[in-house]
Amino acid sequence: MGEPNFIKTVCGYCGTGCGLILEVENNRIMKIRGDKEAPVNKGQTCVKGAFAYEYVHSEKRLHTPLIRKAGQLVETSWEEAYQFVADKLGIIKKTWGANAISMFACARTTNESNYVTQKFMRGAIGSNNIDGCNRT
Amino acid sequence: MLLLFGSNTSEAHPIIANRIKKAVKSGLKMIVIDPRKIDMTKVAHRHLQLNVGSDIALINAFIRIIISEGLYDASFIQQFTNDFDELKNRVERYTPEYASEITGITPEDIISTAREYAEAGNGMIAYTLGITEHHCGVNNVFDIGNLALLTGNIGKKGTGIMPLRGQNNVQGAGDMGCLPNQLPGAKSLTDDAYRLRFETEWGVGINPIAGDTQTRTFDKIESGEIKALYVIGENPLLADVHMNHTAKMLKKLDVLIVQDIFMTETAEMADVVLPARSWGEVDGTYTNTDRRVQRVRQAVEAHPNVKEDWEILCEISTRMGFEMNYEHSEQIWNEIRKLAKEMYGGISYDRLEKEYSLHYPCPTEDHPGTFILHERFHQEAEESFVKAPFVPVDYTAPLELPDEQYPFILTTGRRYESYNTHSQTRYYASGVKLKQTEETVDMHPEDAERLGIENGEVVSVKSRRGELQVKTKITDQVVPGLVFMSFHWSEVPTNVLTINEYDPISGTAEFKACAVSISRIKNPEESMPQ
Repeated sequence: MGEPNFIKTVCGYCGTGCGLILEVENNRIMKIRGDKEAPVNKGQTCVKGAFAYEYVHSEKRLHTPLIRKAGQLVETSWEEAYQFVADKLGIIKKTWGANAISMFACARTTNESNYVTQKFMRGAIGSNNIDGCNRT
Repeated sequence: MLLLFGSNTSEAHPIIANRIKKAVKSGLKMIVIDPRKIDMTKVAHRHLQLNVGSDIALINAFIRIIISEGLYDASFIQQFTNDFDELKNRVERYTPEYASEITGITPEDIISTAREYAEAGNGMIAYTLGITEHHCGVNNVFDIGNLALLTGNIGKKGTGIMPLRGQNNVQGAGDMGCLPNQLPGAKSLTDDAYRLRFETEWGVGINPIAGDTQTRTFDKIESGEIKALYVIGENPLLADVHMNHTAKMLKKLDVLIVQDIFMTETAEMADVVLPARSWGEVDGTYTNTDRRVQRVRQAVEAHPNVKEDWEILCEISTRMGFEMNYEHSEQIWNEIRKLAKEMYGGISYDRLEKEYSLHYPCPTEDHPGTFILHERFHQEAEESFVKAPFVPVDYTAPLELPDEQYPFILTTGRRYESYNTHSQTRYYASGVKLKQTEETVDMHPEDAERLGIENGEVVSVKSRRGELQVKTKITDQVVPGLVFMSFHWSEVPTNVLTINEYDPISGTAEFKACAVSISRIKNPEESMPQ
């Protein structure tokens, strides 16, 4: 058994931005408590922030890319998945124009991933069709 | 003084609710404006239980009272605003009596609230999706702005307008340019000089014409103009209005790409599904509801075959001929700091390590961050000062009102222990006792009695767009004629009922109001869905 690690981070649920301390042992989150040093929550947490973390370790997480073949989603390699998406979007762009492609971005992922998402749409695709629930 | 508008704070933002409640204990006067008797009303000075969607009638009446009783901040208006006369004319017909007819609130309560807000000295308004998820969501927000400007309640401590945002990085996603009209740093795409900065750094021309909103995208799928959709960490099939229509549109696409952590209902329809890392497995920053940038840190190693969102996008981008390569999230953040320097230039990972969080705008390393926005409204106006215009608006009723066939108004929202389409909150740590583990339609005792419905009975709920079966929860949280449901459980897909009408400016759908009928099921056993 490994010794627990304590990782400071920010909650992944609502927009309040509570600071949390994750107790991690053997690569599993064992416990979460509010970070007393966090300016937003000063140690408090709600039921979601403190207890609804088991999804990270769920057996039902997606662990491999899937591609539809003969009507069914089947496991594939990253290489095939990447190439399929790149080819398909490339053909659609060439045939119908960049604005035939649209992106729904993610309000849950990091600023860094969101920046790359819009750079992908504007740089690689050439379209501003990018939106998400962040408009609300 | 706090006006809490369309915000079920204790369920959707529990820690903010705790802080508000603490402030109430030390003397804050809070008035809750909400169609439901939500938990926050327990500590409120007053609850204005308005009819769903009647916000503008109420706010215009507040404005009219404040103007007619001379309670507005005349010198502030003269110095910092435009179009006061237009506002004054527009609200003229919103007498307390007229507003009372529309909102269902007594003229006395409307008058008292208007006076209390105007005379509070410091008045703050916080709102959530009860304001924005209407066909007139933008007008609702304009009118909140009108009210704050009228009384000078902006740009200083204890005042202002605070939208309470519902997701960990919903603020950041928009700020980073994941909007059809906006570049990173929340600046308009049409700003040539600003766009050039990105074009130069990226080595590519950027289309200067704004793209489509999410709701408009569905229209364009229908017309055949949009052929491909790439969805990252969203479950639009369950989360968007009028589910049967959404499903039809997703099927119509040439290609649907879904990048997610679980096999969501939307992913089931995809042509390609790309497995992404989740919270706990990623590194970077989130921006919270008050513009606070904070570090999110990796706590556990992800499964070796799942990847970070940005990594997946870089691989596809490079294969499409637009090369993107990053080693780690800090490298991306530093590119953001360089390009959107007015906002983030001073927010380094090093500083976040030491200072925990920083509020943007923070242009330089020696800048403390901006805790309060719009302070210029209380400083000597420079010549370059752009005055804030009042934007007068009129009340418009929800687009689908109850009638004989569909006599109830359905309004939707969240419940405390669950989150959005429930892909994460299905997995609580063991031993946690949950209050609500399945969907209910919440209805008033009088309605239940009239229809002969018992608490817990499975009923049929129908709208013009769809139908479902759900257990009843009899509660006086709602008023007669109003029912409430959340959209957490795929077993009871509430958005099969909601209406696909949108705000013309924001494109946000009217999740908060549609007409439904409720009826008993004769043989519940036989008609339960499989």
